[in-house]
Amino acid sequence: MATPLQMFSREFGYVLLEHKGEGNFVLRSDPPSWFNELWGATQPGEALIPLAEKSPFLESFLVEAQTCWSSSKTAKCRSEVWIESTAAGREVPLQATALHRDAKQLLVLHSPEAQYREQVRVFQTARNAVLEHEKLLREIQKKEILLHCIIHDLSQPLSAMRGSFDCLSAESLSEEGQKFMALGKMATQQQESMIRQIIQVFAADLQATMDAEKEANHAPDLLACARNAITSLSPAFAAKRVNLVLDPQIDQQTSWHVQGEESRLQRVLTNLLENALRYSSEGGNVTVGLESDGEFRKAFVDDEGPGLPPDLRPAQMFALFSKGKEGGGKAGLGLYFCRTTVERWGGSISCTSLPEIGSRFWFRLPKAAAPAEGEAPPRELLSAVGDPRPAVKERRAMRILFADDQEDIRTLTSYQLERSGHHVRAVCNGREALSALLHEHYDAILLDEEMPEMSGVQAAHAIRENEARGSHAFLIALTGNNSEDDKARLRREGFDAVLGKPFRLEGLTEILDAAGSTLSLTSLPKKPPATTSAGIDDLLGRIGGDKKLLSKMIRTFLRDTPKRIAALQKALQRKDADEIASLAHALKGSAGIFLAQHARDRAQELEELGRKSELGGATAVYAALKEEIAKLEENLRGYVKEIQVQPRSTVSKPTKRLTGKRKKR
Amino acid sequence: MLQKKICMLGAFAVGKTSLVRRYVESIYSDAYLTTVGVKISKKVVQVDNSEVNLVFWDLYGEDDFQKMNWKHLQGAFGYLLVADGTRPATLEKALALEQKARAEVGALPFVLVVNKCDLVNDWQFDATLEAQLVARNWAILRCSAKTGEGVDEAFAKLTGKMLG
Repeated sequence: MATPLQMFSREFGYVLLEHKGEGNFVLRSDPPSWFNELWGATQPGEALIPLAEKSPFLESFLVEAQTCWSSSKTAKCRSEVWIESTAAGREVPLQATALHRDAKQLLVLHSPEAQYREQVRVFQTARNAVLEHEKLLREIQKKEILLHCIIHDLSQPLSAMRGSFDCLSAESLSEEGQKFMALGKMATQQQESMIRQIIQVFAADLQATMDAEKEANHAPDLLACARNAITSLSPAFAAKRVNLVLDPQIDQQTSWHVQGEESRLQRVLTNLLENALRYSSEGGNVTVGLESDGEFRKAFVDDEGPGLPPDLRPAQMFALFSKGKEGGGKAGLGLYFCRTTVERWGGSISCTSLPEIGSRFWFRLPKAAAPAEGEAPPRELLSAVGDPRPAVKERRAMRILFADDQEDIRTLTSYQLERSGHHVRAVCNGREALSALLHEHYDAILLDEEMPEMSGVQAAHAIRENEARGSHAFLIALTGNNSEDDKARLRREGFDAVLGKPFRLEGLTEILDAAGSTLSLTSLPKKPPATTSAGIDDLLGRIGGDKKLLSKMIRTFLRDTPKRIAALQKALQRKDADEIASLAHALKGSAGIFLAQHARDRAQELEELGRKSELGGATAVYAALKEEIAKLEENLRGYVKEIQVQPRSTVSKPTKRLTGKRKKR
Repeated sequence: MLQKKICMLGAFAVGKTSLVRRYVESIYSDAYLTTVGVKISKKVVQVDNSEVNLVFWDLYGEDDFQKMNWKHLQGAFGYLLVADGTRPATLEKALALEQKARAEVGALPFVLVVNKCDLVNDWQFDATLEAQLVARNWAILRCSAKTGEGVDEAFAKLTGKMLG
């Protein structure tokens, strides 16, 4: 007959054992079913059960239990819950309690099944919540990275592009040239619009956006996007002499409408094409193709580059901050952008090495119905071509120090500021800016926030720390971080004004004008004209009034200078410092002959840069020199015309010469 | 037969249980099931023509809800330190656990396993830190309990260190 203890044990799933030494036990109550499942069916009695051998956890617990059993007092100790697995793989939670009663070493085993399951449920819920939270933070981080990518990788070149087109607008372009300029402007505006749209996407409820994008009315035409991407990148491919073609085998009758959004889809294609261009050699071919793939439409970009590194899995190519083997990419974000964008639309993206040469980057998107007639998204981006270049006003001339690590921004901004009448020294980073300040005072200092070696903020700190009492340098921050918080932060860092990138020249000149009206400006020598009639008269005086010789000198100048300018440009492209110094020296001499002081100064500046092999700001100086030389050439041509006209009324020699020539013939 | 106790240490949800199941039973489940308490598993392996019974103590991951009971490390011959390559904080936790383990039971053989290497797109394991740890003679393996990549190698490496 069962004792009350045995009945209790059975009822509540406990088993009572007595320790007989060395990890062996005997049963003192009927074992519950889990005991039999784990360690075999046994009846209460004197049969020894080597539990320590069967359960490593119990073996370990016996050390603690022994302390309890050795105690002279009535004592007990309890283990943590542990899990044993049955032969069938069922997990059984267990808890052991050692008891010392009546000089017996007792062990109670219990399976706290319900309590354990509840504990697991609570912990599972809590930990899932933590994991979800971490996942959410990672998603936010991804968005921030993407925004960084948008702002820095996409926005920054816009300043240069927009400025270049503005400058080109001022030139007399052929009809063909105007067409290309309009194309470039259109692409710039497209990019601006796309950036705005993407930022809006991140600001809006993502899910709502995704739902909206799934509507067929917004389904972009993959073929049209491919054509647009090819058109916009054709100049870049042409410059590298890489052939970019649309696969002629594309089925024109197929509907190529897919899930997604037009401008971002075009960006995906553009990124893949830029990637292909990066790894293509001169004379290579890049092909954009489209294929039907069941319920999907697939686009691919084939190149003839080195192919994928054999040790790289395709997925790694699209990972965050992943760059090609040779680190060809800028920030490792382009392909990452492609993946996140395509996947968000329910598509997939991958790449593979082609059998013989090159690689294929492809993506596929769910196909979508074509937009209903008249319901296509507005394409205002493609129609606007841009404003005429605003007239540059005469402004108070300032000495400006400009630090930016992007050469195109440096060159263009310097050029535009020079055209506005300012004197600009362009440098590559904060350290160079500090160095320049040691030698010269500047009325305004423009510092890009993010530069290698020394950032704009670091440079601003250094400038402020070293300012003499009562003096205050006018510091302007250029930043890609355009939020009001960022601007306020930069003002706290010591900047007097903050200009967001991409910036328009007007914005900068407004700041400079405002500064110029309040600052005590460094007295700049009035910018000398390219040359003056006084300069020519002076030269004429120096050569004894020999107009023939003067005319010859001018013709020689007009003949040789364009060659020197062209050679100088090539030397700059080659970064041939010696050649730059030599050519600039020659130009300095030529300009000096005609007292073209500004051209001479620029040539001297360029010569010095060449001698020091400091070509960071050379392009900007070259641009200014070229402009001054052009003015000088124009003036000299005018003078030549003048002295050719004069003789008809006052001097007979030219007429005689012409007559003589006719006779000779 | 030689018996060696191996503990699994690491933050929660790094895949300690999955690694053991992959190694012992060649099973993997995508569902995350948290461990409460200690799970015991065994596997007999051949090392130099001798059989060794490896007893795995799969300890619950330390977090705000459960703190490590360092008594479980008593009697261990080594431990596998597990981090999740997609969650940088778990590597910091692993480094902290290693320090604590050294303080509690002395220098035991261990191998750092950076799990979930199949999730290449989310991989955030700091290569610089990895290089620093390797320079300190840490044995580091990238594994995936999901695909099985590197799992046998990690346990074999630890076994080798324990027996060597």
